[in-house]
Amino acid sequence: MANVASIERDRPDATDVKLAARNLTVERRSAGGSAVTAATDVSFEVATGEFVCLLGPSGCGKTSILNVLAGLDRPSAGQALLDGEPITGPGPDRAVLFQEPALFPWLSVRANVELALELQGLPAEARRELAARWLANVHLERWADAQPHELSAGMRQRAALARALAADPDVLLGDEPFGALDAQARELLQREVQRVWVESNGTKTFLFVTHNVREATLLADRVLVMSASPGRLLEEFRIHAPRPRDLDDVLVARVVSEIHELLMREVDASVAREMAR
Amino acid sequence: MAEPEPSAEDQLAELRLTEEERLVLAKVADVLRRIQFGTVVLVVQDGKVVQIEMAEKFRLR
Repeated sequence: MANVASIERDRPDATDVKLAARNLTVERRSAGGSAVTAATDVSFEVATGEFVCLLGPSGCGKTSILNVLAGLDRPSAGQALLDGEPITGPGPDRAVLFQEPALFPWLSVRANVELALELQGLPAEARRELAARWLANVHLERWADAQPHELSAGMRQRAALARALAADPDVLLGDEPFGALDAQARELLQREVQRVWVESNGTKTFLFVTHNVREATLLADRVLVMSASPGRLLEEFRIHAPRPRDLDDVLVARVVSEIHELLMREVDASVAREMAR
Repeated sequence: MAEPEPSAEDQLAELRLTEEERLVLAKVADVLRRIQFGTVVLVVQDGKVVQIEMAEKFRLR
């Protein structure tokens, strides 16, 4: 019954809060140029070493929230905090994985990973060694000298994951990082990410946004479910189940169906509101 | 007239729980005390509970 211990972990205490959103309201520009409220009054905390997924229908503002936490955007109200300090811009303490892996096409896979380390001021030998270790970790060692275009979409995303983690950030933010992958590549990446997170042994904090209920339930300690636009937090699911998880796990399947039902109700209600206008 | 339900004491006495079973029940009770809404799953292998999994649900709105 060793795994029962995993249930013991409870609410993070105030001292180990890594990321916090406090009453965040985020606006984005519509195609016509007017400001649209993407998410409103969103508050949550992510503890050090936690894996949290922010889940919601498209347009609910989850990406806008992630951008604020990444330091790529400013909120129109509220605060985003990292280690208790307001976030004012991007930093090496936070890596971001985007849906499209932003690899430099003219650099080899290895050079892409090394570049991130060079920017941190690491000497050449350390860069080479770290890059090799992380490429091996995502099973790309044989492709180190390939150009990004020679890789499949899944391999490119694995390279981006290696690049993000080689720089040893405290926080990994993911914006639908597996959204553009085919089902098999997606499954493989989900397994890799679970493994990498488990191996970090409570030192790395992951926050992913996704609209994929199964993905969120498979990956996260906590799933925060958002409403349709303008996004607000609706419900939180805390999942105490060992990893790697499988979609066939009884608990996972059960939580997936509950969240799915909640989202369908939410989307139905939002369609009804639109129709009533 | 329906038989009155035997007391919890009597039911427990009747079961003659082993030490291991009592430990499992204690863990389950501990989990149940901490959860208001959600799901608890017991994974059984070869007649033994090898894992307790739980998902808790909280309303945030």
